[in-house]
Amino acid sequence: MIYDLIIIGSGAAGFGAAVYGGRYRMNVLVIGKEFGGETAKAGNIENYPGFLSVDGFELMDAMKKQAENLKVETLDAEVTEIAREEHCFEVKANNTTYQTHEIIFAVGAERRRLNLPNEKELTGKGVHYCVTCDGPVYSGKTIALAGGGDASIKGAVLAAEYVNKVFLIVRGKEVAAEPINLERMKNLGDKIEVLLETEVKEIIGKQKLEKLLLSKPFKGSDKLVVDGLFVEIGAIPNVELAKSLDVELDERGYIKVDNMMQTNIDGIFAAGDAVNHFGSFKQDITAAAMGAVAATSAYNDHKVHGELCPFHAQPTMASE
Amino acid sequence: MKKVTIYTTPTCVYCKMTKAFFKEHNVSYEEKNVAEDADARREMIERSGQMGVPVVDIDGDVSVGFDKERLSRLLNIK
Repeated sequence: MIYDLIIIGSGAAGFGAAVYGGRYRMNVLVIGKEFGGETAKAGNIENYPGFLSVDGFELMDAMKKQAENLKVETLDAEVTEIAREEHCFEVKANNTTYQTHEIIFAVGAERRRLNLPNEKELTGKGVHYCVTCDGPVYSGKTIALAGGGDASIKGAVLAAEYVNKVFLIVRGKEVAAEPINLERMKNLGDKIEVLLETEVKEIIGKQKLEKLLLSKPFKGSDKLVVDGLFVEIGAIPNVELAKSLDVELDERGYIKVDNMMQTNIDGIFAAGDAVNHFGSFKQDITAAAMGAVAATSAYNDHKVHGELCPFHAQPTMASE
Repeated sequence: MKKVTIYTTPTCVYCKMTKAFFKEHNVSYEEKNVAEDADARREMIERSGQMGVPVVDIDGDVSVGFDKERLSRLLNIK
């Protein structure tokens, strides 16, 4: 069977696209390495229309069920390779090849690391990248959270429910978060202490994290003793597969798309955190919206090119 | 039947994924919330040597994170 559309990525952009693809009665397969993407890890989400508050994992589960109800197929696997033959694609995952007419890259982004010595060795031993996951493990302890964006402020507020003290280490001159999250942080008083224009220079510890070396002294010392460090300093778009197909990137290294989420390659669209369509405003609602637009473009493209793929997909015919 | 213990926090997505995987394969398990239970937290750190969740203990074999392949192997899930 040749799918009409394969969506790579199973976060909000992927399932946003899947729901629309399903409604367009396309044969859709969603292949995702990690179900739910960043949305699933976000903890409580209060800015997705229709929900006062919803757990990110449950929101993704609802999107998946909605897509499956529209006969969309899903596969938990990593796509390792994509080959292109004119307007047809062969997508490899789990040692199986899946053919499709259209592709949407909804591949998201990888959490950025500090890239400091010791960071890898102490991962899980004081250094963490998911505050909603591991923040509560530090119940009654002191933690630091590196990053000054909305995700880190939200993370600090969540962690403050469990830990004694949070030091928010912010490289810039101010934090950049939704005012509602800033209010919540301020309401917690000095439980969350913000260190502006400060960076983590070294991660110190042998068997586990013991302290951090800061770029700027805090209360007379450049060493900060903490039990845990959570890194929330943004993400790097996953573009390797797209690059392998000669998909053009923008100047910041994201997949370049037009207003309809079309890339420079016919039949390939992109949505979500792997594109920079809304700049640094990366939300569940913008990801899902980009997915919906990408699916609509894929559908329109499929109406034009849908007949061509069986021809290209069979090498014996293609060579005649 | 193998004894399965999962150490979790209430907001951890990989814990939810692991529990969904257990449910899908009819695996019974005991859940310990390390955010609330200090003894369970100590036990988890001792057994796994680290502080990330979930940690799954299957008859003494420890798995960290939602490692589907390792869990399938330890639980003989095809």
